[in-house]
Amino acid sequence: MNQDEFGFRIRQALNEGAERLDYRTMLRLEQARGAALARQRHAGPATVRVPALQLAGAGSPAVDEGTGAWHWLRGAGWIAPLLALAVGFVAISQWQHQLEIERLAALDFAVLLDDGPLDAYADQGFGVLLQAERQLDH
Amino acid sequence: MATREELSEFLAGVQRRAFKQAVFAVRDESHALDIVQDAMMKIAENYGDRPAAELPLLFTRILQNSIHDFFRRSKVRSAWVTLFSALGSDDDPDADPLETLEARGDGRAESSEAAFEREQIVAAIEEEVAKLPARQREAFLLRYWEDFDTAETAAAMGCSEGSVKTHCSRATSALAKALKERGISL
Repeated sequence: MNQDEFGFRIRQALNEGAERLDYRTMLRLEQARGAALARQRHAGPATVRVPALQLAGAGSPAVDEGTGAWHWLRGAGWIAPLLALAVGFVAISQWQHQLEIERLAALDFAVLLDDGPLDAYADQGFGVLLQAERQLDH
Repeated sequence: MATREELSEFLAGVQRRAFKQAVFAVRDESHALDIVQDAMMKIAENYGDRPAAELPLLFTRILQNSIHDFFRRSKVRSAWVTLFSALGSDDDPDADPLETLEARGDGRAESSEAAFEREQIVAAIEEEVAKLPARQREAFLLRYWEDFDTAETAAAMGCSEGSVKTHCSRATSALAKALKERGISL
């Protein structure tokens, strides 16, 4: 009988012995197995993260930071002030531009009607202004 | 990752052999149960997320480490338990705890003479296995009972494959000799 065959015979005998464990031992083994399974790593349901001072029962959608519209709104909370600031800058710029157009229009209207004061034609700055407008027209 | 069902099935499959191995090592049923429970807890807590295929080798290493830890924590326990077992038996100072274990099964033992003889043979084999030196017994049981190959046995024992072969060969010779002296032929 070689070593492997001898080992196989011994194995059969050991298996027979293992099958004859008394019920108390089997009960303890089953209890140990149950306790171990209860503590299996990553075996339980997904862990829900709740802030330390958050009541466990207060899990309304408002505090669910991982889902739906509330998540989008939390992001929008940072973006909205920036958007408002940008819109404000654009509006002020447009308003200033409109005021400048109206001022120049009034001036052009006055020149066309010869309503401008005589001192204006003698003013060097007024001549430069007219020259600049002429260049813009071309 | 091993599911709860896979881990449960694995533990159910190895718990008897693990208990017996622990009994062979520490020669005390109660301590053996504690060791097996400790090993089950450790594999579930620390390695419960590992693939099911890795569980046999991991559990074997954990069980062997738990047995070694037991001896480290209580170096005199083995001698004390032997004394306790001798006092606890009827009148036989050479009685073995395994014989006590088998005796508990007598109530549900088969009545036929052949079955009784077989029980005696199994008890004698367990007794002789328990008498083997620790490393030889460990190598022999992993190789032939747990069905590990030489490389897996070496990995579980933390030694070379050559050492595993040597341990197994010596264990086989010692067992064969002891059983022959008791008039047991396999």
